[in-house]
Amino acid sequence: MSTVALFSDPQTASALLPEFTLIVGIVLMILVPNLGKGTFRVPIPNTNIRIPYLLGGDRFTFTSSPRIPGTISVFTLLFSTSLALWSQMETPISGSNVWCISTAGEAFASCAGMVDPSIFQIDGFSRLLEIVFYGSLMLCAIAMWSRMPATPRFMIHAQVLAGRREDERIQKLLDNRRQVDFHLLLLMVALGMSVVALASDVFVLFIGLELASLSSYVLIAFMKENEEAPEAGMKYFILGSVASAVGLYGISLLYLWNGNLQMADLAASWQAMDAIDPMALTGIAFLMVTIGFKVSAAPFHLATPDAYTGAASPVAGVLATGSKAMGFVVLLRVLVTITMPESGEAFWVPIVGLLAAITMTWGNLGALSSNNPKRMLAYSSVAHAGYLLAAVAALGLNQARAGDHVISELIVAAMLFHLTVLVLFKLGSFLVLSMLESEGRGSKLEDLYGLAKREPLLATALFVFMLALAGVPPLAGFLSKLLLVSGIVDATIHTSMTFDDGILATLQSLHWVVYLGLLVFLNSALSLYYYLRVGWVMFFEEPPTRKRMVYAPFLRITIMLCLVGTLAFGIGPLADHLMGLVNNAAIAFFA
Amino acid sequence: MDLMMFGNPLTLLTLGPIVAGFVFMFLAWASPPSKREEISQYIRILIFAFSLLLLSLSTLMFLESYSGISWTSIGLNNYVYDNCVNADIALEAGGCSLVDGFGVSWHVGVDGLSFPMVWLTTLLIPVAMLVEWDAKKGAQFHSLILLMEGALIGVFVSLDLFVFYTFWELSLIPMFFLILLWGGDDRKYAAQKFFIYTFTASVLMLLGILVMYYFNRVPVWDGNFTGRAFDVTLMAASSNQLGSSFLGGVGMQKTVFLLLLVGFAAKMPSVPFHTWLPDAHVQAPTAGSMLLAGVMLKMGAYGFIRIAVELLPGAMVYFQWLIVILGMVSLVYGALVCLGQTNLKRMVAYSSVSHMGLIFLGIATMQPLGIAGAIFMMLAHGIISPHLFAVCGAFKHHYHTLEIGSMRGIAKHSPWLGGHMMTAWMASLGLPLMAGFVAEIAIMIAFWMTFGWLVILPALTLIITAAYYLWSMQRTIFEGGDEGELPESLQGEDPVDITWHENAGMIVLAGFAVLLGILPFIFFDMMSAYSGEFVAEVLLDVLNEVKP
Repeated sequence: MSTVALFSDPQTASALLPEFTLIVGIVLMILVPNLGKGTFRVPIPNTNIRIPYLLGGDRFTFTSSPRIPGTISVFTLLFSTSLALWSQMETPISGSNVWCISTAGEAFASCAGMVDPSIFQIDGFSRLLEIVFYGSLMLCAIAMWSRMPATPRFMIHAQVLAGRREDERIQKLLDNRRQVDFHLLLLMVALGMSVVALASDVFVLFIGLELASLSSYVLIAFMKENEEAPEAGMKYFILGSVASAVGLYGISLLYLWNGNLQMADLAASWQAMDAIDPMALTGIAFLMVTIGFKVSAAPFHLATPDAYTGAASPVAGVLATGSKAMGFVVLLRVLVTITMPESGEAFWVPIVGLLAAITMTWGNLGALSSNNPKRMLAYSSVAHAGYLLAAVAALGLNQARAGDHVISELIVAAMLFHLTVLVLFKLGSFLVLSMLESEGRGSKLEDLYGLAKREPLLATALFVFMLALAGVPPLAGFLSKLLLVSGIVDATIHTSMTFDDGILATLQSLHWVVYLGLLVFLNSALSLYYYLRVGWVMFFEEPPTRKRMVYAPFLRITIMLCLVGTLAFGIGPLADHLMGLVNNAAIAFFA
Repeated sequence: MDLMMFGNPLTLLTLGPIVAGFVFMFLAWASPPSKREEISQYIRILIFAFSLLLLSLSTLMFLESYSGISWTSIGLNNYVYDNCVNADIALEAGGCSLVDGFGVSWHVGVDGLSFPMVWLTTLLIPVAMLVEWDAKKGAQFHSLILLMEGALIGVFVSLDLFVFYTFWELSLIPMFFLILLWGGDDRKYAAQKFFIYTFTASVLMLLGILVMYYFNRVPVWDGNFTGRAFDVTLMAASSNQLGSSFLGGVGMQKTVFLLLLVGFAAKMPSVPFHTWLPDAHVQAPTAGSMLLAGVMLKMGAYGFIRIAVELLPGAMVYFQWLIVILGMVSLVYGALVCLGQTNLKRMVAYSSVSHMGLIFLGIATMQPLGIAGAIFMMLAHGIISPHLFAVCGAFKHHYHTLEIGSMRGIAKHSPWLGGHMMTAWMASLGLPLMAGFVAEIAIMIAFWMTFGWLVILPALTLIITAAYYLWSMQRTIFEGGDEGELPESLQGEDPVDITWHENAGMIVLAGFAVLLGILPFIFFDMMSAYSGEFVAEVLLDVLNEVKP
């Protein structure tokens, strides 16, 4: 076992490269817009010697450009994504690519037998999730690149008429400030999320969770021109804080019970218990409240539609993809890493199963009856959380620790596959909506009327995203659901299982969890009706105007890339590659 | 000539029209508005030529002297033009797989059951184009039909259930647009009803397919994520090998059978899932109706035989009476409703329901002759019913009405139209020496062999069939004295006869109806070879188990 101080050699330094790229990005985000002609007068009387130190003073044109913060954040996230992807590609089998970072700041090539408690564990699982997080945030950053002037375009005109129009330079600077705020928060979300993915200690996990959550509350409320945004942000903040507080209390109970919050230790203590300790159980149950809120599972999802509706579309997209993936990481860490018993069924299977059933059905019914496309997508995100929870319930049936991991790995791989491709079509559809939003529309189904006549390509893209969300073959959404249901069925059916001759007797003899798979299927079929409605109004209704939408070339290219990905990850060699990647991640999760 | 040298001809038949359809549609869309009419003409001719090319390809495939294939000795669960022989070995080597991890493969092949349908599709496409040569926005219309050809052929040739289902749903889309954009007054309602009905049913079918995929526990290869495959040939092999323990037990087989039955019965359509059909037909443009009745309904019957019966013979034997009852009710109910119809197209649509009931009866006999008769019925009805709809379309086109009884003595004013109506109507009611008769007589004989004197019921229904056809014909083209009676919708204009292109298309259909009536063995041989082996190798064991 090699023990080296972090940064003592290139190999260990590269272990945390994506995260350090983020930190560099954050520092640049603070520094670069502040670069100016600032000088420092040497305090000698009667002299005027000025030493330029480049911070403050009149800003350079370059640094005060409203585009610079967006550029920094896009490139930072791009570098981080590529680095994470590259480290995953270079040594794909995760076993040889594990790094544990201890509290003493040392890196270990294996997590076993460390003296100091470990805080971060870097393996295929966390890397893949980082790709998902950074990818979704990068798409959001591209969408917001030039979309948030301090004074919206339609208000500039009014200001000019009223004679209140300020100097153009100041206006630009104000724009720049606002962009800095937004993208700084975005990078903080990225940092928080990657801490969650890497954490091997429940407290570190919680810190990452809060870093990401607090930043995202502000991001939701950021569009202050929109009256709904502050309300949505406030709602999400209050409910989220309560959920976090409950979770923190749960963590403190776990600490009382075990004496430390190392996941490996917690897991070992959990297995050593004869009967479930009420304190530990309460701790886990309270922690589940936080997680339920993050993944927007049924009783905790009530703020979700409001938050998504109020937030800018790209931000809502991040909530629906990256943030949800983060919630599921925590869920997997807590439920599977810690509380999975040595053999037999985990205690939470009935609860999670019930929640899954309620969540997916409620989400779909909500989406069916909502007339706002963003609200519809929010409810569909709830429904997708339900599908993933069903897979988690199936995961609890299996003996993940005992010998054969194949089925558990299949389920985790399915979840990861789903979360990964969800970025493409869920966020993609939010990006299309954000195009509409930039002309002040997009909050009613009527706004989508006749989109195909205005923007055929965008409408087609949105339609394909809808089909992928519904899970229509041969798109990526179908494969991910097929894998999920595969996992659920595999976890419940054994090869030697035989059935009666009668239909009812057969149906009764199946394990109840397999009906969650059926429910996933039926809900997907139901969801098709509201997804197709979007297609119908786009193609067969008359548009209110025939004008083209805003130019936004990068956003358009990004939407097209999402479209290509949705198609390519559905069938063909790319789907195989992605499957290999998620499979490695799943193996790493159980390693 | 070796057709294999162009790659697999079935792949060409499937993907060729889809690619070409998109290309032509793009050309029509991108052409400059000033020259759009002119360019549209050329595009239409090109599309027609392309569809003729596909027809000649499928005909060459059929002709033994060219393809070197003996269609009567293929063998069960073997396919010709198979690109993935020994699918388990080929899949493991990654030979024809589309997505390794899930066991989805591009596996195509035809046998005595599917090849007649493929040939029928390639025949009907140019005929439908010819009949509706003067459609508005013709270039787009014909490109959509070409797209549909690819999807329909894809359904019949794909031996992978995933790809099968994809094509199954894909074929809905051009049809949906044909109804929606070129349909009658009530087209939006009809298109939505058509889509929602058939889609909901096929979701249940997909559920059945997925249950088979999940519960077929014979591992296919280890590198596969799920250890399973959608391949029909592999499923058939494991069904044959495991018998009653396929899918874990007979109870599961019955469940899957019912799920599949709903999907296929709604497509055929059989009572009680038939209500979408009359609306869709009445609103659809003529070419759309022709393809809907000619090929799309056969998808249901084809899928039923290929998937439900071939993979789950035990359940088929168990549900034999359910199928008989469904078939009988469709047959009798469809015929009775036809008697009461005043709209010509609606009547023809219900007659399709009635004839599809006969197909169910033929399959339910579980005799080689009955199944061969059912398959021949698919082909015969696929030639006759487009003829019926073409006649209806011509009425709508030239007399602007479809009301039976609002016009009389049309034979005098439009002799060609009257002649075609008579030919088609006679063929459909089962006149000897025409294709429909062969199928009906085969099904009746087999029915008598299995169920004895119960054959009285379907046989008597044929009288109702004859009654509504003859009655409607009498009221429309005869009667009314020397001058006849012209419909008010003509508004005093002189009636005209059908145009040359309508006539040409209908003559082709009439010719094949007669040809297959006189020389049924052209296709009947391969069908009876298939059904003989099918009964001997799949059904006989199960039947012997149940009724020793």
